[in-house]
Amino acid sequence: MNFELSEEQKMIQQSVERFVQENYDLTNRVKISSEDPGYSQEYWTAMAELGWLGLAFSEEEGGFGGNQIDTLVLMEQFGKGLVLEPFLANIVLGGGAIKRGGSPAIKESILPNLIEGNLQVTLAYAEEQSRFDIEDVATAAREDGSNFIINGKKSMVLNAESADKIVVVTRTSGSQVDEDGISLFLVDATSKGIERENFPTVDGLRASEITFTDVEVPSGNLIGEKDKGFAILQAVVNDAILALSAEAVGAMEVLYKDTVEYTQQREQFDHPLSDFQVLQHRMVDMFMEYEQCKSLLLRATMETVQDPILAQRTVHALKHLIGKSGIFVGESAVQLHGGMGVTEELRIGHFFKRLLVIDSQFGNSDFHLDKFTSL
Amino acid sequence: MHVELNSEDLAFREEVRTFFEENKIKDGEDYFSWRESWFKKAREKGGWDVPKWPAKFGGPGWSPTQHYIWEQETARANLPFDLPFGLGMLAPILMNYGSEEQQERFLPDIRDRKVNWCQGYSEPGAGSDLANLKTKAVLSEDGTYYTVNGSKIWTTLAHMADWIFCLTRTDDSGIKQQGITFLLFPMKQEGIEVKPIITLGGSHTVNTVHFTDVKVPVENRIGEEGKGWTYAKGLLEHERTGLAGLSKSLVELEQLKDKARTIQRGNGNLMDEASYRSKVGELEIDLLATEFTELRSLASAASGGEPGPESSILKLKGTEIKQRIQKLTVEASGIYASAWGDKGAGPSFAKGGTAGYLNSRYFTIYGGASEVQKDIVAKKVLGLTTGKSK
Repeated sequence: MNFELSEEQKMIQQSVERFVQENYDLTNRVKISSEDPGYSQEYWTAMAELGWLGLAFSEEEGGFGGNQIDTLVLMEQFGKGLVLEPFLANIVLGGGAIKRGGSPAIKESILPNLIEGNLQVTLAYAEEQSRFDIEDVATAAREDGSNFIINGKKSMVLNAESADKIVVVTRTSGSQVDEDGISLFLVDATSKGIERENFPTVDGLRASEITFTDVEVPSGNLIGEKDKGFAILQAVVNDAILALSAEAVGAMEVLYKDTVEYTQQREQFDHPLSDFQVLQHRMVDMFMEYEQCKSLLLRATMETVQDPILAQRTVHALKHLIGKSGIFVGESAVQLHGGMGVTEELRIGHFFKRLLVIDSQFGNSDFHLDKFTSL
Repeated sequence: MHVELNSEDLAFREEVRTFFEENKIKDGEDYFSWRESWFKKAREKGGWDVPKWPAKFGGPGWSPTQHYIWEQETARANLPFDLPFGLGMLAPILMNYGSEEQQERFLPDIRDRKVNWCQGYSEPGAGSDLANLKTKAVLSEDGTYYTVNGSKIWTTLAHMADWIFCLTRTDDSGIKQQGITFLLFPMKQEGIEVKPIITLGGSHTVNTVHFTDVKVPVENRIGEEGKGWTYAKGLLEHERTGLAGLSKSLVELEQLKDKARTIQRGNGNLMDEASYRSKVGELEIDLLATEFTELRSLASAASGGEPGPESSILKLKGTEIKQRIQKLTVEASGIYASAWGDKGAGPSFAKGGTAGYLNSRYFTIYGGASEVQKDIVAKKVLGLTTGKSK
């Protein structure tokens, strides 16, 4: 048993931590978030130059041969500052799909540019009726000679506003909720027939609804085999769950520590709030939830690195706990900060919003409890 | 013991329903003139414009059962908006502790919804520990006016208010609860600065208010100097009962169920999913119980007088129920829970739910945080003291 990070991972952890401390105070985050494109191009370029974008890609792909543990190291630190740069959308989702299913030509044209920060790719998988069922895909791709024609609508596509390419999950055969018959395509975001409706999300990020009307895509742009895209989608979604959970753990650490600090400073009834046992116990609960989430995060990540199929059940367990505990920690932090916790002025509320959003992405805590108990 | 409504109560309910039905806003009708005429007609019914006021001051003098019926019906009807500050918070204080002159001066405008009031209680250093307030009021040498300096926080709708009722400190030599004086003064005057606080749901309802050398004539003081805490305390208990909002929650729960039934899941809908349904069920069970806790408290008030410490239970349970309804609304939104505001995406059921949930976190903080409410129940109801009693 060894939970120690490697020397390289420790160095990266420290450098990300420093980056977040230096660049991600609340004022700066609010400013970056409110201006287009919703993140800092300067920071994104810096992240590419520091090699962070290539950590989880193989050396042939232009990366450094790391895995989900390296992503965990990054995302946990990102979570401590609620970093806005589109790492999840590009590296875990878009890049993750191409890494797993892209043809050699696609990998070669996309991945090095992605890793250098010159190109952006996202993943369009959810639909209005699908809720959290990733196999529920109505958007259709019809074969037409050497092309496919895509029609349908995708929902809550992260960072689509800035994406140059979109990996779109389509139905090529079977019924709407079959795992078989799902195919993934890489399309240009500016293709004829694509319409993006962009909007901000609760946590200050950006997402889009995307309509596809007779969008032509060459069959060479298939990501993985035709009809067999589900396995890739599931693997990418699992990676996204691990990454978001790591971010959530970072955010929960900030919330419980800020709360401990605040209650020691704030005085009511002639005592610091932290003197009151009822508040102490609530903070102990917050701390315990954080530690338990961290444990399950490590477990699910290490199991996934060993065998992603066997790890599926633990990934469901993780997302359930992260959703439930994240909201408990967020609500508790707000409650213990009193009125100030409900304002935009303290960072507490912003971290709480992020945890709320994380629960709503890639399946909420109820959804994963149901999956967990039925496996 | 019985819970059925008697024939008189049933007739009353019918009368209320008919009144609401006959006075609904019509298509194309101007909202504010409708609102004005609604209150006028309600007044002609015999004080229905001020249902909670005692008969002596023009209220309808209803029985607790009639009040309960009114609450239930108003939660379902689309009534003109009303604000609680003047009508429900200041008016009872004026009636109990104000001079006849003050009652004549302020109550008519409150009743006519002519003057908007705000409540100047909490301060940056006085939240749960309200008695710790520091806003200073100094009496002039000739004894004709006070000069007020200090800051209030969480002042709801201060930016729309014409007047404020305000707790100030006139003496800090004794215990905190002594030396507090209750003053009334206009908001639109030199020396008052209102600054917005934006809450997590992205809205501006609360404010900070700063007073610099605000002059308040001594005739605007309620009761005696230094006795303000006693006057305000009775009102806080009123406020806590009102905050439970159970009738509204019952309606909102029904709306939530209707909404969940429109969200298709396989061959059924969201209410067919065991995890979601059981949470809705648990919520409804708590609501059924709390509704009767409220009725019991109303009945004891009818035979006794002021609502007592049991009102703390209602605030605790009622606000928690309201938050859980909001949380389930967010969960119903599914992937659209993260879409923000009107600009957000997705079907109409998903819009606005998350902002409502975020703002609902305030419910267990304002009007006495839940932790403080539990302290009150522990001390006053269970008779508990601790070595480190705080």
